[in-house]
Amino acid sequence: MKLAYYPGCVSKSTGKEMEASTRAVCAALGIELEELDDWNCCGATHVSNELVATGLAARNMAQTDLEIMTACSICYSNLRAAAQRLEETEILEKVNAILDRKYSGAKIRHALDVILESLAENDERIVVPLKELKVAPYYGCLLTRPAGLYSPEFPTILEKLIKRLQAEPIDFRLKTFCCGGPIFMPQEKAADDIAFKILSEAKKAGAEVIVTVCPLCHLMLDAKQKVLEQKRGEKIGIPVLYVTQLVGIALGLGPEELGLEMNSVSPMAMVERVYERMA
Amino acid sequence: MAGDELFKQEVLRLAGQEVLTCIQCGTCSASCPTAHLMNPSIRKLIKLCLEGKKEEALHNVTLWLCTSCLLCTVRCPRGIRPKAVVSALKDIAEREGQRSKDADYEQFFLKQIKDYGRIAELALTGEFLLVFPQGAVQSMQMGLELLPKGKIGLEIEKIKGRDEVKRIIEELREK
Repeated sequence: MKLAYYPGCVSKSTGKEMEASTRAVCAALGIELEELDDWNCCGATHVSNELVATGLAARNMAQTDLEIMTACSICYSNLRAAAQRLEETEILEKVNAILDRKYSGAKIRHALDVILESLAENDERIVVPLKELKVAPYYGCLLTRPAGLYSPEFPTILEKLIKRLQAEPIDFRLKTFCCGGPIFMPQEKAADDIAFKILSEAKKAGAEVIVTVCPLCHLMLDAKQKVLEQKRGEKIGIPVLYVTQLVGIALGLGPEELGLEMNSVSPMAMVERVYERMA
Repeated sequence: MAGDELFKQEVLRLAGQEVLTCIQCGTCSASCPTAHLMNPSIRKLIKLCLEGKKEEALHNVTLWLCTSCLLCTVRCPRGIRPKAVVSALKDIAEREGQRSKDADYEQFFLKQIKDYGRIAELALTGEFLLVFPQGAVQSMQMGLELLPKGKIGLEIEKIKGRDEVKRIIEELREK
């Protein structure tokens, strides 16, 4: 299978382990990725004019005829929302009047969906089954919104993938609650409040690891975890993995390929437990 | 005093005519992750727009507390997109030159896309700290965490299609 790949801006910075693990897992599963030519930022959550946001997404989508995969839920949501708006002729005409390469339709897929589709039940490539591993499935907002493929209130695709890796998805009530990431720079306290709520809930629910599908969720829960612990005087100590990293561990890929050393809360003790349980 | 009808129409143009059908049920406010810090609430903000109360609708903390999570939007029983109303108000505020740390952050973000085609987080943070030095503590904390992991992009990547991106931003905004 060959897909166009949209890495998104964070692939070059705070989401480097997302990028590394996405490429490694796709290679291991025989999914060929062709990086979108000269891609631009999708605007994330910071472009308030919808027509401009649509235009930015359309320029990316017009670079290929292949289905487009991204591992970032923000990029995913923006491209999907734009593709929906571009179904209106008036919007399509306005946007295409500006674009060099004209937009003529696109199918957008999240890495999560692509990976789940290519992994069979009891797939023999799962050489390190994640037995007994208690995983908090954290969706955040934008994988499932605007509404489309998954329930925006109670999606289950992550649980399905976690089970396929033979791990145990825990009942995680805040799984679709916002992490606060989009406003963490100018509105630090508001963002910290909600991110800590999610971490605290994951701890209470007995998670050994939290799995995310968005680099901003990951930043809030992983890179900020230590600071949040200090501020709140409560130890969390739960590693936060991109879904692609979790899949990669089950496929037997190494820490380097998956960028595991780039995570702030080290997942290595958890990985060791997984290997011990297998033995 | 009669409300500002032009302002109301502009919000409706940007966020959708269905905003007119709001029944003030408050599902949006009840769904919002930052509702406890907002004033006015998101429900009230929509009412202000419909009443044409431009000043109150444009100058408040609510606009900048929206995380774009879209929970209001998937839940609204009238099919209104409250987040799109917030975006419309931000768009109007930006065009009218509103200045605040939050508005500036959005401007810096958009300017990076216009200049480079992509976001260079380090440069973005640097620019933001010039207008909001109080953010330095958090930025230092993040930097100390991310830099040793090699997760701060030090180079600014510029795409080839910058002129096209600039046209998208400048020309589509006017339409």
